Amino acid sequence: MKKKVIVACGGAVATSTIAANKVVELCKKNDINVEICQIRISEIESNLPGTDLIVTTSKVKRDYGVPLITGMPFISGVGVEKTEAAILKVLKG
Amino acid sequence: MIWEELIEPLIAIDLDAESYEDVMEQIGGLLIREGYTKASYTEALIAREKEFPTGLDVDGVGVAIPHTDVSHVNKAGIAIGILRNPVTFIQMGTDDETVEVRLVFMLAVVNPNEHIDQLQRIIAIIQDKDVLNKLLKVKDTNQIIEIIKEKEKTL
Repeated sequence: MKKKVIVACGGAVATSTIAANKVVELCKKNDINVEICQIRISEIESNLPGTDLIVTTSKVKRDYGVPLITGMPFISGVGVEKTEAAILKVLKG
Repeated sequence: MIWEELIEPLIAIDLDAESYEDVMEQIGGLLIREGYTKASYTEALIAREKEFPTGLDVDGVGVAIPHTDVSHVNKAGIAIGILRNPVTFIQMGTDDETVEVRLVFMLAVVNPNEHIDQLQRIIAIIQDKDVLNKLLKVKDTNQIIEIIKEKEKTL
């Protein structure tokens, strides 16, 4: 089944592009069929239907009722493996 | 390649800045002067930094990657600033965690998906603490381009 992942940052300019690409690569490696929705934080709500996971590179205080994982390690390079494992757990679970 | 796009008018060494707003005005000013971004760019950078900060703590080295909406950009480019004294930025992904920054990579992005390779290269450069430490010691702009060129050979 196809998984929908929202990847969001402040302006959908730089950091979410990096994070989205990492999620795509990770899913490819693990044979997960994924649809990426790269948007601004402010656009998350209207794109929620059918979403399996949200990855953000900005702080999000709201609970969208969907698992949310920080994609910051993809930018800082610190803790990438742990983040990848957490993403896989949600998408494979 | 990033190093091929770096030009001396967009690199500032030993930059004397008092705050992150000052950093935005000075380095953003270079991008505006060279025609990469619109006059609205600096103000948009500051507004965005307040809401979505871009400071990064790379294993003890403070880096910031300010950028803003594509509507303020004419053409893609990167400006680099090495600050004389550290300036406090808020860390990306937080509200209140600060990081003392002396290295600034300011991005003028037009179409992120067309530049994914470039963005990934910048991130790879920023994640390399050795490269960052070398950049902090440079004396002229050419050295910056050389250091980044060397790093990109390994990517």
